[in-house]
Amino acid sequence: MAGPLLSSTEKIFILHGVQNDYRSDGRSNIDYRPMELETDVVSHASGSARLRLANTDILVGVKTEIDVPKPDNPGKGKIEFFVDCSANATPEFEGRGGEQLANSISNMMQRAYHTSQAFNLKQLCIFEGKQCWKLYVDILILECGGNLCDAVSLAVKAALFNTRLPFVKAALMDGGNVDLQLSDDPYDSKQLDIGCAPLLVTLCKIGDKCVVDPSAEEESCSVISLVVGVTGNPKFYCTEDTTNILNVECKCSTIGMNGPGSVAPKTLKDAINQGIIAAKCLDEALGKALLRERQETIVMKKHSYGFLK
Amino acid sequence: MAEIYKLIHPVKYFNDYISRNVRPDGRQFHEHRNIKLNVNSIKASEASGVVKCGNTTVICGIKLELATPKAEEPDSGFLVTNVELLPLCSSKFRPGPPSDYAQVVSNIVTDIVMNSECINLKDLCIVYDKLAWVLYCDIVCIDNDGGLIDACVMALISSLKTLTLPNVTYDPETEDIKVDITKRSPLKVNGLPVATSFAIFPFFEKSILLTDPSAYEEDMCGGNGANLIVCWNKGFLCGTQKFGGSTLSMEDEKQALKIAKQRTKLVEKLIETCIDNESK
Amino acid sequence: MPLDFRRFNGPEDSVSYTRFTQDFLKSYDELHNELINKSNLRKDGRALDEARSMFARTDMISQAKGSAYVELKKTKVVCSVFDPREIPHQNEFSQLGQIFCEVKFAPFSCSRQRRPAAPDAEDKSLSVALRQALEPAVCRHLFPNYQIDVFVYIIEHDGACLAAAINAAGLALADAAVPMYDIITASSIAIIGDKMFVDPTEEEEHVAMISPDSENVNHGIITMSMLSELKQVSDFIQIGSMDTDCVIKAMDILEKECAKLIPNIQQVLVMNVVQNIEQQKKLEEEAKEREAALNAKLEEWKTLLNAG
Repeated sequence: MAGPLLSSTEKIFILHGVQNDYRSDGRSNIDYRPMELETDVVSHASGSARLRLANTDILVGVKTEIDVPKPDNPGKGKIEFFVDCSANATPEFEGRGGEQLANSISNMMQRAYHTSQAFNLKQLCIFEGKQCWKLYVDILILECGGNLCDAVSLAVKAALFNTRLPFVKAALMDGGNVDLQLSDDPYDSKQLDIGCAPLLVTLCKIGDKCVVDPSAEEESCSVISLVVGVTGNPKFYCTEDTTNILNVECKCSTIGMNGPGSVAPKTLKDAINQGIIAAKCLDEALGKALLRERQETIVMKKHSYGFLK
Repeated sequence: MAEIYKLIHPVKYFNDYISRNVRPDGRQFHEHRNIKLNVNSIKASEASGVVKCGNTTVICGIKLELATPKAEEPDSGFLVTNVELLPLCSSKFRPGPPSDYAQVVSNIVTDIVMNSECINLKDLCIVYDKLAWVLYCDIVCIDNDGGLIDACVMALISSLKTLTLPNVTYDPETEDIKVDITKRSPLKVNGLPVATSFAIFPFFEKSILLTDPSAYEEDMCGGNGANLIVCWNKGFLCGTQKFGGSTLSMEDEKQALKIAKQRTKLVEKLIETCIDNESK
Repeated sequence: MPLDFRRFNGPEDSVSYTRFTQDFLKSYDELHNELINKSNLRKDGRALDEARSMFARTDMISQAKGSAYVELKKTKVVCSVFDPREIPHQNEFSQLGQIFCEVKFAPFSCSRQRRPAAPDAEDKSLSVALRQALEPAVCRHLFPNYQIDVFVYIIEHDGACLAAAINAAGLALADAAVPMYDIITASSIAIIGDKMFVDPTEEEEHVAMISPDSENVNHGIITMSMLSELKQVSDFIQIGSMDTDCVIKAMDILEKECAKLIPNIQQVLVMNVVQNIEQQKKLEEEAKEREAALNAKLEEWKTLLNAG
């Protein structure tokens, strides 16, 4: 991407700002820019969300299908991520240009959701060894304005929060076949337990400090970024009394690096700590926003905005 | 000096050697390269063989799977052989799906093994119409310096010879399959096909036969691998194939068959000694 | 999945026979308890913090510019590097050279299943990780608009294959005389509960990737590659779930492990240079002999010409 042209003095200005934890747009090093989030935007999907962070626009739809579990994991469902970089997001995505980026994002998501401490696949099981749910998480990048990983993970978590799985009764028939019974009532459904679902935080290294959610100017001052996937806290996603819910410690579910540079071990350690703090704030804010929206849907007060409605 | 000469005038460089009755690597026309063989070195596969002919390195690994036999042949198992020419073995091959040449090599190797009938597919059937073994034999080329097919066939045959099949019990009522890996029986391999490659170089009015050519020699003789492949199986000729290159006189053909036969004896002995040493 | 017409395919419904063996569905606890015996040693007799000895050599592949082979007991990896070539399908000028990496598992490399012949998601993610690890190590400004191809083939996978691949690629690049800033080494660690398995085997990695039923137990794998002289981490990949203290502790161990590999790699590289110099000397001597013979012939002709 042809970044903004910056003189070396401007770069030093940004670098000094980061050093003093006061960036050129007034944020601290772990502050995000304002975001817009909306759930339930695609009526044909089981769950969906749209997120806009600065110039990045992401639409996520979750589809559900019934599948046969893997023989080595009979009691678990499946989840798959598919990223599509729309060609009008940025001119670079034309043809097969976005393929590599799309692959690396879906890989990152797959890795972040791998552990059952982040997303328990057991809740997708219908009948052990025979039938399970398979979630297809389709991520569409409508506009690319940097910081994709963070935006995608937020939108995916919101879409999964919004996902409803119909109740299915399973009974074992003769000959090892499974009989499935679906309720006639479309509202007879359960929600997913996604409190622990991970959020990815990208930390851009500028000088020897790291910042989250870099602006385009800041991005051009950095050669390497670190992506930290941090598991969420279910406490933030519950409306009921939160005292009896275990306060789960945030853990790293994946770490990866992006970009052609390298980092000193000390910077890496600081960045991981910083990422966890940032993820905690982000998780809390996301939980609040999602609960508020759900509340609004229940009392039929929800205002739809955005282009899809 | 010599390297630069080779780069600028590859044909002339080669001609100079041939006119002195010697090949660029110092071999005589009918001399083959040293062969090294190692079996069962890859423990993750059921059976394996690593072959080095000069610089050419080929690895064969066999994976076992179970499947229902084809409806047309309910009493046969499957033998699936594939040759993979990796992009790392030579700058000629690029990543991606197999090139035409790779498919040709794959076909020849499969043909040689199938035609020689060294594996009876009926031996691979466990229960009629219900269950059979599938032998996935994947042959990969790590370093391609000519004489590829010789090495592929040798690696494949030596791995097949060391392969043992675990004991399978099948319950026809519940369709339950149980595999006992502690009890194993060796696979029956009849015969031992050995392929020998030749390159045919047009030198003035006559053709010169080069046994076990290197990649450079193959390139000089028209490219795309060896020109003549002769395959013997326990004293019987089980296939000859000629691809491009110069014409071949009757005497030369007879000589090629004779050379191949001699080499076959050597290779047979090599494989047998190697497997004997391994089993000790 | 679409059928691959360029290869011979087996029957569609074939399954590995290991599914029907008794050991297939072992519980997590069984698998876990098997890893360590009573005297706190691993299955292959190593202590927890003991890495496997690495065997490495260069100049494996005659057709490649540079190549290397790395073996960690059963894990076997071969890598080759080719001459720089122009970046294909690119119109713009690129100031920095590019590195193209491809990692591929052999179909027979894994004991659990047969690998598909076409690259799958794991192959691709390893390729990306390898590129990430190598980019900071190579002086890319020296070959603008060119790309270096690095191909890695995993012949046998018994754990820590990404670390082995990075080590092999580093050696192969050095063998191909690609200018680099530092020697690159990589090491891997598996974490299961409070135990850390340095340089894990495939079995240990498998257990580390399963999340145990009891909540909040650390588990996962970390691979880190380092430029030890410059004290820089060029790639860091963590999968699983673990708290920060655990990550940082593992990072310290990996840093030491990476440094331990350096003398080994240096030795291989020095051997490589010594051999090359000897080879060069031999060639030069031969060239001299030939030249002397030619000169003698020339003199002979000259005398013949003069004589008559």
